[in-house]
Amino acid sequence: MSERFGQSRRRFLAATGAATLTGLSGCTGILGGGSDGSDGDKPTLADFRGSGQFVSDRPAPGGTSIEDLPDLEGDLSVYLGGGEGGRYVNLMELFNSYYDGFEATWDTQPSSQLANTVVQEHESGTTQADVFWSVDIGSLAYVSENGATTTLSSDTVSPAFERYHPNDQWVGVAGRSRAIPYNTDEFSESDMPTSIDAFTTESRFAGNVGWAPTYGAFHGFVTAMRLIRGEEATREWLNGMLDQNVNRYNNEYLVAQATSNGELGAGFANHYYTMLVLAGRPDAPLDVTFTQNDAGSLVNAAGASVLKGSNKSDLAENFVRHLLSAEAQEFLATRGFAYPMIEGVDPVGPLPPLSELQPPELDLQKLSNVQPTLELLRDVGILS
Amino acid sequence: MATSDRLDRLRNDASDDADEDTGFSLAATAGAVAAVVSLPVVVLLARASDYGLGHLLGLVAKPSSVQVLVNSLVLTGIVTVGCIAVGVPLAVLTVQTDLPFRRFWTIVGALPLVVPSYIGAFTFIAAFGPRGELADLLAPLGIERIPAIYGLHGAALVLVLFTYPYVFLTTRAALLSFDGTLVEAARTLNHSRWEAFKRVTLPQILPGITAGGLLASLYALSDFGTPSLMRYQVFTQQIYVAQRSLGVPEGYPAMLSLQLLAVVAVVLALESRIGGSTTSYISRGSRQPNRIELGAWKWPALAFCALVAVLCLGVPLGVLGWWLYRGGETVFQFDPAVAWNSLKVAVAAALVATLMALPVAGYGARSDSLTSTVVDRLTYVGYAIPGVVIGLALIYLTTSADLLTWWLPVGAESVTGLLQSVYKTVPLLVFAYVVRFLPQAVGTVKSSVLQVDPKLTEAAQTLGRSPFAAFREVTLPLIAPGVAAGAALVFLTTMKELPATLLLSPIGFETLVSYIWLVRGAGSYGAAAIPALVLVGVSALSMVVILAQERYNG
Repeated sequence: MSERFGQSRRRFLAATGAATLTGLSGCTGILGGGSDGSDGDKPTLADFRGSGQFVSDRPAPGGTSIEDLPDLEGDLSVYLGGGEGGRYVNLMELFNSYYDGFEATWDTQPSSQLANTVVQEHESGTTQADVFWSVDIGSLAYVSENGATTTLSSDTVSPAFERYHPNDQWVGVAGRSRAIPYNTDEFSESDMPTSIDAFTTESRFAGNVGWAPTYGAFHGFVTAMRLIRGEEATREWLNGMLDQNVNRYNNEYLVAQATSNGELGAGFANHYYTMLVLAGRPDAPLDVTFTQNDAGSLVNAAGASVLKGSNKSDLAENFVRHLLSAEAQEFLATRGFAYPMIEGVDPVGPLPPLSELQPPELDLQKLSNVQPTLELLRDVGILS
Repeated sequence: MATSDRLDRLRNDASDDADEDTGFSLAATAGAVAAVVSLPVVVLLARASDYGLGHLLGLVAKPSSVQVLVNSLVLTGIVTVGCIAVGVPLAVLTVQTDLPFRRFWTIVGALPLVVPSYIGAFTFIAAFGPRGELADLLAPLGIERIPAIYGLHGAALVLVLFTYPYVFLTTRAALLSFDGTLVEAARTLNHSRWEAFKRVTLPQILPGITAGGLLASLYALSDFGTPSLMRYQVFTQQIYVAQRSLGVPEGYPAMLSLQLLAVVAVVLALESRIGGSTTSYISRGSRQPNRIELGAWKWPALAFCALVAVLCLGVPLGVLGWWLYRGGETVFQFDPAVAWNSLKVAVAAALVATLMALPVAGYGARSDSLTSTVVDRLTYVGYAIPGVVIGLALIYLTTSADLLTWWLPVGAESVTGLLQSVYKTVPLLVFAYVVRFLPQAVGTVKSSVLQVDPKLTEAAQTLGRSPFAAFREVTLPLIAPGVAAGAALVFLTTMKELPATLLLSPIGFETLVSYIWLVRGAGSYGAAAIPALVLVGVSALSMVVILAQERYNG
């Protein structure tokens, strides 16, 4: 299923109704607002940061502020694979609004489809976009393996955790962990297993667990399992879940929602969806846990790369640096509920810091190898 | 005299007297238009032949390919039968019986055509899907699960509901025009009503039903949005996914496209065998039979009409209205610039299609040579090619231009460069719309041209006007209403077109349909309310055009 999207700064202005486009000299401080006497129509930290229970007592983010980065200037085309239901688009709108001389336009489609499009365009000499920004490493790796990206400079990638720029063809900008949402009326945290195997064996999970097998992030999870345990063991695990009468949903948001309303005891869903449900219903009997050293705790990432064939590679790379700025990371943490990719910005709410998670040892580049996963899922009868 | 006879006479008069020089340049222009719009099929064949027959046959034989073929055929069959089952009774009720408020039910019966089927599909999913609005309503009553709407039955239901008006309108036209005295004659021969219907009415209106059934089946085959939303794997949806997924076998999307075109060709061939002459129902001025009195059957008949109206209009408008009322969407904000983009490409497509239709229609109306028939048929290619196939072919054309230019002795490089430079540009998008919808303009313009006595233009030329001036001063004012109607049809169908728009739009260029598709894909149904209502509203204007064209038969 597909989606696409294009945008300009005009919608942002229409949307907020607050920002006005007057000439602005003398920037306002990112945390302040008009301290130098100007109106402060540039977005401030408050504009980047979300609101509500998760945000109220957060400290100012560490890391490099946008103010300390070179200005973005010119027109930039971005292929946006996925994007947390429009939130990544909102971040680009903020950049458009922040810089008078900068305008990003974008096209949103599912990440694997865009990866394919990027490679096709690279091979036929019709590259359209300057930046590929995608919600999963698999698609970023696929694009770089096909030679469609340029190497990012160390200035650009150095703020990010090392694990998330393995060959500098792409850099992670927002972490997305596999997670187990569970209903706190039914289970306490100590009840929850530290291995995904418990869900195939323990009777308390029979008919009481949900998954979304058509969902891209689920395919990444099964791909990781294949890489870690091999094809046969993965098949056994999938069949084990089927024997437990696992409930099927169309996407992982629905899994988290069904868990919050007691329809399910637990589920498999990216950590983000639990946060999304909690943001809407702070008192929901819902919490999130992580397994240890298996595919159930895989930490995938959204990331960005600069495309070969773009004639704006400097602007594109500067844009990627902006995605790793303090403000953008704060945005992705507080509005996208992502794991920030730089030191100095913490994840929100009940999420443990990235350093406390125990993701499996895995070459993340290999997550691009999704096709055997789809065949396996079809073979087992989970996908048609 | 039947209209078709009159048209034939006009055409013969015209071709007898046609000016040789004008005839040639007209034919050449028309031929050029036909060649340009057949380009997508040529590209597709060139691309497919690149993979070799053996490889393609291997793909065809794959179980998943066979499944897609079977799914497409089953869906098309069910939709066609379903449209006839809904459209014919509705037409009979509104034309031949004393059904109360017949005028009202006639309009209501035709209106679902203004709801793009993908909007119908996602409102049905919202209303009847798992955890949809209906499920929410029923939840307090203890009903926890309602049957899933996804799959074949959901896709078929939605397609029937938003496509049956084709059958309804063509059947109505046939019923209105056939000679009622025949039925009375049959009745005097002691045939029951049912028998009279079967033996007299049915054969008379069969061409009308077939024509409508053909439109419905072509629509079902070419529709991309509904099967995609209903997660039912058919050609259009598979082509779209295969074109842009990782690890798909080489040539698979091209092979699927050719298979789809083959199925379309079979449908067209079947129609020409069953339908015979579709002109018999055009004749007018005949006497209507006495109205059938429904008696106690009035109530079930009214219930049937009301059910159709509630499902086709009540559900989508109700759901959209509810979303609009509920609001509360913050991530996406609708920007009127999106509607402006839709408007711009639709106007451009309408202008270009009309300009291209003029020589084709003029040539077709003034000549009945073999060449003119071929040219005429070629411009209809787009009508049979689903938008997703046109989109795919144009992507091939612009990203693998070398496939087409190897035979050019010189300048292949600059042609390739030119083709690459139009990839994902607005002109290419408009071209796709023109290829797809040119037949609508040709059809309406041609029927207007046929009504103009060629002696008038000849008179103008005798008075010293050049052929072009004679056309501009005499013919054009006379055919203007037909030209306008054709342009309006192209405009409105372009506004609604989905798959080619998704495949070919430039980065950052967003239209109403791509915006609706985006926000729906992101789960923000509420944000789709305004653009969907705008689109339905604009589409409703198409009803005016359709009803104004009394010979609506596609």
